Amino acid sequence: MRRGERARRQRRARKDAGAVAYGRSPAGRLADRLRGRAEPGGARAAAAGGGTGPSGDDRTDLERRFARLGWVFTWPALVVVLAVTLFPIAFSVAMSLSNVSVSSGGFRLSGFTTDHYTLLLGSGRWRHALIFTVLYTVGTVIAELVLGTVIALVLERLGGPGRGWMMALLLLPWAMITVVSAQLWAYMYNGVYGVLTSFSEAVTGEPVQFLGTRWPAVLSMAAADVWKTTPFVAIIVLAGLMMLPNDVTEAATVDGADPWTAFWRVRLPLLRPALTIAVLFRILQAFGLFDLPFVLTGGGPGQATESLALLGWQVMFTNLDFGPGAAVAASTAALVLVGCLLFLRAFKARVGDEESGT
Amino acid sequence: MTATAPATTARTTAPAPSRLRRLAGAFTWTRLAALLIALFVAAPLYWMAVSSLKGLDEVGANPPTLWPDRITFDNYREAFAENNFGTYLLNSVLVSIVATILVLGLSSFAGYALARLPLRGKAPIMVALLMISLFPTIALAAPLFLLMRELGWLNSYQGLILVYTALNVPFAIWILRNFFLGIPKEMEEVAWVDGASPVRTVLFVILPQARPGMFTAAIFTFTACWTEFLIALTLNTADRYRTMPVGVALFGSQFTIPYGTIFAAATVSVLPIALLVLIFRRAVVSGLTAGAVKG
Repeated sequence: MRRGERARRQRRARKDAGAVAYGRSPAGRLADRLRGRAEPGGARAAAAGGGTGPSGDDRTDLERRFARLGWVFTWPALVVVLAVTLFPIAFSVAMSLSNVSVSSGGFRLSGFTTDHYTLLLGSGRWRHALIFTVLYTVGTVIAELVLGTVIALVLERLGGPGRGWMMALLLLPWAMITVVSAQLWAYMYNGVYGVLTSFSEAVTGEPVQFLGTRWPAVLSMAAADVWKTTPFVAIIVLAGLMMLPNDVTEAATVDGADPWTAFWRVRLPLLRPALTIAVLFRILQAFGLFDLPFVLTGGGPGQATESLALLGWQVMFTNLDFGPGAAVAASTAALVLVGCLLFLRAFKARVGDEESGT
Repeated sequence: MTATAPATTARTTAPAPSRLRRLAGAFTWTRLAALLIALFVAAPLYWMAVSSLKGLDEVGANPPTLWPDRITFDNYREAFAENNFGTYLLNSVLVSIVATILVLGLSSFAGYALARLPLRGKAPIMVALLMISLFPTIALAAPLFLLMRELGWLNSYQGLILVYTALNVPFAIWILRNFFLGIPKEMEEVAWVDGASPVRTVLFVILPQARPGMFTAAIFTFTACWTEFLIALTLNTADRYRTMPVGVALFGSQFTIPYGTIFAAATVSVLPIALLVLIFRRAVVSGLTAGAVKG
């Protein structure tokens, strides 16, 4: 992780240096050299190039002043973020490891305990929510990735003003309130007057009860999710496609590759950074799944569509069991963290190889 | 654009008629596929808008009608005159706009410092920010609820605004920092040499150049605040302070959900965003893609 970060910074520093040196007047270059010693840009390049960075003694007064200014600029943002996210996360973890007593007067933590986690691991409901959330995340993200890439390829070929309008249309589900789209799909899936129910009746002869039984309910919810989030994936992938150099594909075509091979062997590997971002975003959002089951299914039928976030929220705010609820919340957060680190590591390794080759 | 021009002329001057025909065929297939995609995306939106114009009995009709037999605005009157969707909408607008402004203010200075100034520990800060911005909000719900209860900020604007600001600052810092890295340094150096104060330099020299980045950060932040549900549901349940998502989710009883009313409110909530997207189509798309790919 850290090595990757440093390598990236070095590359960027090199790129910056190249951009500055290229196409500048001699006077400008002279100014660059004059500046090089004391200015922040020069210090940054030196720090990135030097690897370990300068030790405190080497720093000039000006540099120290800039560093102080940097902290003045940064701390308001950091304080707000720490107060509202890191502190509560730490508190969540503490709460999940303590005896919690809730009374009308307030709320008290007393004594260390791992009971909540033992309870969690022994609970079939938690295990079910975990399995459901993981499978749902994997399934919807794969579906969205495939569909999003197909849509992006179609739009790339479409070109012209049509593409602009299509992109505007695609942005609408993304910017729509998830709860609203959940109500909309609940209405369309409704067993009595839902348009999809009567459509299924017209096609198959009998109405499908979309939300009535386990697997149809899971699939119906996934369909609603795919409708809302695939456009976002498509836009990111399309952006990646448009940034690819044209000549690579043309070279492959000249060399006799058919469009399918050209896409699979040449363009898809180049798309990997864009896809990584899209997948990472979607994994995180899907793993925190809450709005959609809250409105669409209420976690049902039974517990069929109960996600970890929904379970945690219900345990905390419906049953007022803050200890076990915090254990659900903290373990969900930990899983997300581990999952992302693994994903990034697996992806970075390969991306890094390719980049060092070019 | 200019890069593709030679390729197209080469293709059209190629004398092979079979290839031309294949090209024409592919073209229509592409258009057909695009049409199907557009239908898939637009059909639910159409259904929402059309259902909001139907009368009570027609909303619950089986089989449903594709176009209202009788167009009525009763649902809109119901939503905004007899229920509080107007309040929810205003709450959402207020909270989202104020949070977006605060996020831009905080993260533009922080993003500038992290891009340009010689801070120590930049890399750990950036990684920590990324991780925080990715955290599932369920881990924050209970502690924030208790914190806001202590402060007396349950059912208030400032509580929700504070949380939304903090949740969106990390990602906005990432977008803006990446943007600042791409801006040439000359202008700000001239400003430094001329003796402008650091705050003035950032406000009047840096930020105007970073307008697309600011726009992207603003859109991401606004959309995230506009659609956020879990925290709003936890902190603001009093009717007067509900945001649109909470209002829409909790409307109706367990047995009857007045969909017509909900869709009237929902259509009104989608319209401003739809207009914005259509007007700023190009800026939104290029901003989103630039921010996302670089980020």
